[in-house]
Amino acid sequence: MIATVARQQFVALRRQQIFLAVLAILLAMTSLAGFLGWMSHHTVVQAYDEAVRILAAQGQPAPPDPLGLKPPLSLLSNLAVYIPLIGALLAIVVGHLSLADEQAEGIGRVIFTRPVSRTTFLFGKVVAVAAVLAAILAASLVTSVASLVMVNGSVPSAAELGRLGLFYGLSWLYLLLFALIGMVTVLATRRRSLGLLAALGVWMVLTFAVPQFTSGLRPTASLNPVTDPVSTSQPFFGATAHARSFSVSEQYKQAAAQILETGTAEPWSDTGRRVLPLLGALVGVGLLTGGLARRHDFSTGPSGD
Amino acid sequence: MALARHEYRAAARSRVLVTLTAVLVLTTIASVYIGAVDYRSRLADYQAYLDAARAGGITQVAPSPLALLSLLRGAVEYLEIIGAVIAITLGYLSVSRERTSRTLPLLRSRPVSPGELAAGSALGALGIMTTLVTAVAVAAVVCLGVIGHDWVGGAEIVKLLLTFAASITYLMVFWALGLLVTARSRVAATGLMVALGLWLVIVLILPQIGDTLDADNQVPGGLFAALNLDKPQEDLVVSHFGAYETVRTDIEEASFAKHYERFAFALTDVKEKYRGFSLGQLLDEKRNDIGWMVVYSLALGYGVLWAFRRTAPLPEGAP
Amino acid sequence: MLGPVPPPVTPPIPPAIELHGLRHAYRDGVEVLHGIDLTIERGEIFGFLGHNGAGKTTAMNVLTTLLVPTGGSARVAGYDAVTERDEVTRRIGYLPADVRLYGHLTAAENLEFFARLSGLRHPRAAVTETLDYLDAGDLADRRLSSFSTGMRQRIGIAQAVLHRPEVLFLDEPTAGLDPLGVRQLRRTILSLNADLGMTVFMNTHQLSEVAKVCTTIGVLNHGDLIYQDSIEATTRRFPDEASLEDIYVRMDAVPT
Repeated sequence: MIATVARQQFVALRRQQIFLAVLAILLAMTSLAGFLGWMSHHTVVQAYDEAVRILAAQGQPAPPDPLGLKPPLSLLSNLAVYIPLIGALLAIVVGHLSLADEQAEGIGRVIFTRPVSRTTFLFGKVVAVAAVLAAILAASLVTSVASLVMVNGSVPSAAELGRLGLFYGLSWLYLLLFALIGMVTVLATRRRSLGLLAALGVWMVLTFAVPQFTSGLRPTASLNPVTDPVSTSQPFFGATAHARSFSVSEQYKQAAAQILETGTAEPWSDTGRRVLPLLGALVGVGLLTGGLARRHDFSTGPSGD
Repeated sequence: MALARHEYRAAARSRVLVTLTAVLVLTTIASVYIGAVDYRSRLADYQAYLDAARAGGITQVAPSPLALLSLLRGAVEYLEIIGAVIAITLGYLSVSRERTSRTLPLLRSRPVSPGELAAGSALGALGIMTTLVTAVAVAAVVCLGVIGHDWVGGAEIVKLLLTFAASITYLMVFWALGLLVTARSRVAATGLMVALGLWLVIVLILPQIGDTLDADNQVPGGLFAALNLDKPQEDLVVSHFGAYETVRTDIEEASFAKHYERFAFALTDVKEKYRGFSLGQLLDEKRNDIGWMVVYSLALGYGVLWAFRRTAPLPEGAP
Repeated sequence: MLGPVPPPVTPPIPPAIELHGLRHAYRDGVEVLHGIDLTIERGEIFGFLGHNGAGKTTAMNVLTTLLVPTGGSARVAGYDAVTERDEVTRRIGYLPADVRLYGHLTAAENLEFFARLSGLRHPRAAVTETLDYLDAGDLADRRLSSFSTGMRQRIGIAQAVLHRPEVLFLDEPTAGLDPLGVRQLRRTILSLNADLGMTVFMNTHQLSEVAKVCTTIGVLNHGDLIYQDSIEATTRRFPDEASLEDIYVRMDAVPT
């Protein structure tokens, strides 16, 4: 029964062209991240060469190379911004669409008068959504590897591919969380638009507001993969810093930076610990989704937009 | 006016709008609070310095390094991000509400022209945006005074009012965008998704690309600082990236949000280089951004009028 | 000496539908069903009448397991709608009011999906057979988003009868149909009842159709069942009334 629901959901997403649209956007995003990474690297190299030339002409010594030995995967550092920014919104849309028709079109009335439990049905939907996100991220992985080959002129090593795989695995978990949030808000509201806006509100709070409260990171600062360290010496942050480990977007970014070697090096055990709040959130939101689905009143007719 | 009142009342009853507004106000308060706490201690330090200088008979004192209005940076950024979503939502609701209740044919059967319908809708939205920005501004100013121990006064009030006006203009443009896209969509929820996609591009992606491509943002603390370059040396380096900078700034210029942000940051002393400028100098410096805001406002405003003229009372086949 | 072997005792076939003291109140505390007792035998075509807001759809939602009643019991085909939900859902078909299925899928894809959910072993064969029976084979490969109300209704009925249910629930099945569609629906109901022995439970306001199709009627008034009897007995009881509509109006006007 789960397979039946999952198969139907996969066909539905593909048939709504949402799959193609999300795939296209994510691939565009990956290509853009690669391009920006190459551009920024290229710019810094040029700026450094120019600075060396100017300083030498003025009899001054060459400045330290600000890039040092930049790891090849740092080319994709913008992905760690685009995944929580764009990827999460796309995941919300996918999650939303997976349950929207049953709610807004009243199709739940036809489904749940059949011998299928709500838990089974929901599980099938989650399997489909997870598979769709995995397929899309797999395509993004291929694009990333192609970008690395084109820019670096060589195929990534096994270790680098492993790191990339790890990064995409982490991103899949992150996107799955937001897909579930998209499903929760469908069940918690009656109208399509309200569900979408509620999920968007949750995304804004998790992506912008929580990092500001826990780490002083301003909203626009979190859009740059390279951020200035923020002074958090105030007593306010002394209190809120305890919540930092629960800020899924921050933990995701820092874990991603560690995996792609674009951030300050830390032991793998620390990176692993950063994934725990994400896993916890997944379980929590998953249980919430199941609970809401079991209690939801599917007996009402079409509720419209 | 009746239409404007109807629009205002309907929006005020929308739970989602009220919730998003609460999120906006709370995040603004928190962001201003964080800055104000730090500001208070630095203000106390400066005051102590002034007292010591007075006691020592020193008359030449360093000007205050503090910029009170700069603490509103977070408020401006949240208006830019969350405020725009609220505005789009309002524009979407203006259309979907009339579609769902099928009242547009009833309105059209009254002696009310499409222009009047558009004006009434816009006035109602203006009322909502003004309420929203006022709530944010009052919360922020009170926070500055109570927690930062420094109240906005004098020339700062004028700058704040101009920022206030720019914020309302910014939000009205997004309201118009939400309304226009929803009116042109067969299914309103699809229109909302498209409008939010445009929001993502205008407010987040284009500025992000512009920021990411900014050479100075490539390393923490600034590239030119890392290269130990002073301002003239930095300008010399940048002069070799003319084409690059043109493309980068063109990308940023394409974002309406960036123009609003630049204007607001200049008025609120967020950008240090504008501190000390007179109001006239500021407005002159920012004429490009002001010009773009006017252009966008007029274009979207005309779009709303066109939408009301062209929109059929009931879209074909729409639910 | 032992006597003759008694004939095997076959258990009595339970009625199609039994309601005992059925009550339901929504979350806001308003009670919409006030203890309904109703029995419908197998093979009947039952017309459930009542004013808007009387509680007809709520009663149907309980019988189709979409709602758990706050009091009393509901049994369908001999099984409890709450504690034996799976047994009930295997034996019922439901056509809701203003039925909408997945617009981006074709009729056949929609039906195949619902056939699988109903546990049918050969869903495609069941879909083809059902569409042919309903004379809707030409709709199979078209997407539902392009369908008119009448076409949607036919596919809606198809999904309800795919698995040959014992009891068919129809909520306002004639709403939005043109006269031809109404006639088509009438024929379908009568043939499902005659050919497959389906018991039909129908909420409707179309009294002319009730008179032509139903064998028994019930009238719900503000959550109370105020009348239940066969059409024949009803017309005999009210000889002065010219039509079923006049009889109904007279019954519904009785304040509770």
